[in-house]
Amino acid sequence: MTPSLSRAPALRLPLSLTVRRGLETLLVYAVLASVAVITVFPFVWVFFTSFKGPNDPIVSVPPQLIPQDPTLGNYLRVWNQLPVWRFYVNSLLATGTVVVCNTLLSSLAAYPLAKMRFPGREAIFYLLLATYIVPPVLTSIPSFVLAVTVFRYYDQLPSVIFPYLAGVLNIFLLRQAFKAVPDDLIDAGRIDGAGELRIWWEILMPIIRPSLATVAIITFVEQWNNFFWPSLMLHTRENMTLQVGLVALQGAFANDARGIAAGVVMTVVPMILFFAALQRQFIRGLTGAVKG
Amino acid sequence: MTRRLSLTPYLFLAPALLVIAVFVLYPIGAVVYYSFTDYNIVKPPIWVGLKNYQQLARDPIFWLALRNSFVYLLVTPTLIGLSLLLAIVVNRRLPGITAFRALFFIPVISGSIAVGIAWRLMLDTNGIINGLLLSLGLLQEPIQWLAEPALTLPLAMALTTWLGLGYYMMIFLAGLQNIPEELYDSAVIDGCNAWQKHWHVSVPGLRPQITFVAVISSLAALQVFNEIFTLTGGLGGILNSGVTIVFYLWRQAFRLNHAGLASAIAMVLLAITLVFSILNIRLLERGTEEH
Repeated sequence: MTPSLSRAPALRLPLSLTVRRGLETLLVYAVLASVAVITVFPFVWVFFTSFKGPNDPIVSVPPQLIPQDPTLGNYLRVWNQLPVWRFYVNSLLATGTVVVCNTLLSSLAAYPLAKMRFPGREAIFYLLLATYIVPPVLTSIPSFVLAVTVFRYYDQLPSVIFPYLAGVLNIFLLRQAFKAVPDDLIDAGRIDGAGELRIWWEILMPIIRPSLATVAIITFVEQWNNFFWPSLMLHTRENMTLQVGLVALQGAFANDARGIAAGVVMTVVPMILFFAALQRQFIRGLTGAVKG
Repeated sequence: MTRRLSLTPYLFLAPALLVIAVFVLYPIGAVVYYSFTDYNIVKPPIWVGLKNYQQLARDPIFWLALRNSFVYLLVTPTLIGLSLLLAIVVNRRLPGITAFRALFFIPVISGSIAVGIAWRLMLDTNGIINGLLLSLGLLQEPIQWLAEPALTLPLAMALTTWLGLGYYMMIFLAGLQNIPEELYDSAVIDGCNAWQKHWHVSVPGLRPQITFVAVISSLAALQVFNEIFTLTGGLGGILNSGVTIVFYLWRQAFRLNHAGLASAIAMVLLAITLVFSILNIRLLERGTEEH
């Protein structure tokens, strides 16, 4: 490109360009702001409603968002009537156990699928791939029967842990991660006399740490928000997770919008705080699965 | 050495495969069997052949559920369109842009149950939505959002879209950032305006992401449950207006104890999912051939 050509637009455009750019930026912010309002409004509204006192109307014309008579009473009512702290403990226990175990077991299974040669490798891989297509709901009826008759953990916390101790998607994602590690590293470990378990734990696991984080975050969000299966299993309030407990709360506080709002806030806040703290990892983790 | 190595991979695989065998493979086999039986979970199943399938074929609610599930698939094109537009909007360097992106992502992580319940409160006849619309003079009379059969499905679909928008936006954004700047420059030189530029460069460049989002969001739409459950209070809407395949399966299996019939519904869902997956894989292959 000749100098005169590249300079030509710069000479012609400055004023109209800055005006256009400014207008465009304004328009972009307008779009961003309106989408943000649509996205955030339900949370803001629920938050304020959960602090409304008995004299604050839930809705009025014109609507009143911020409570005039703020109170913690709604939270206390919910807290006293339902074992909310048990919901938290149960959710933490179930989610924590699943995240740790699932990541470990899936990684253990992913290593040979990525880096070892053995009869049946392809068959196992395609079998797993085929199960991935099957909707999880499909397995709920036989799993329910198993829970009642074989494992006898119906209405107990282990029922929402055991089915999730390994996951096909996680195996795939970690298999991809292991595949990207050069064979030389593994061979070097073998020459040094390290067993496969040590190679996996001491050489490979540190290298694939970003993928482990991805898998852990996907599993965490999925399990924390898991509802369908836990709602089939957990019926005694003391054994419920947060999501199941919230639906129980909705039933118990049927005509009490303030109480339900308090329950929604208590359910949502831990995850939002966690997200706020680890934004980048969350977004990269949850959308990073796409490349796998 | 060779003998030790030959057992090792299986030992590594064993724990995960055991979990998957017990909680995925066995149940798939069992649900096929149950679909041919009269079964209520309490008493042992009794073989009845095709009776459950014949009963489904005569069941108007089952056909309604099928229809509703196919209508629900409209969330896929909606989501692709909206999240692609939003990705184009947020794909620029402006002060505060990362904060906006993060805000848009909040519904993705906050869980459909809590959000669904919040929506239900807002859509109540005495809720904030009616309050706002009445105050703005857009309504004269409050609308019974949740009691209007024609609105059950659209509202649930709106909720699904709202929940997924930020997620799919991020996927498209990652794709957009991989498109070389030069392609846009040459499109501008060819005389494209801002919108034409995106139509001719962004959309073809995002083909893998569009296919991915189509696959993921349509499979999720076929399996929708939480949105229907929360918005209809677990009842499926007036006149079954919100009953989808999975919701009907759930009701038959776990509310009415018709596990055999529900298993037959599960088989229909599996068949639809398989057809969809094959179609989607075809689409994916065609997408990669052109590249």
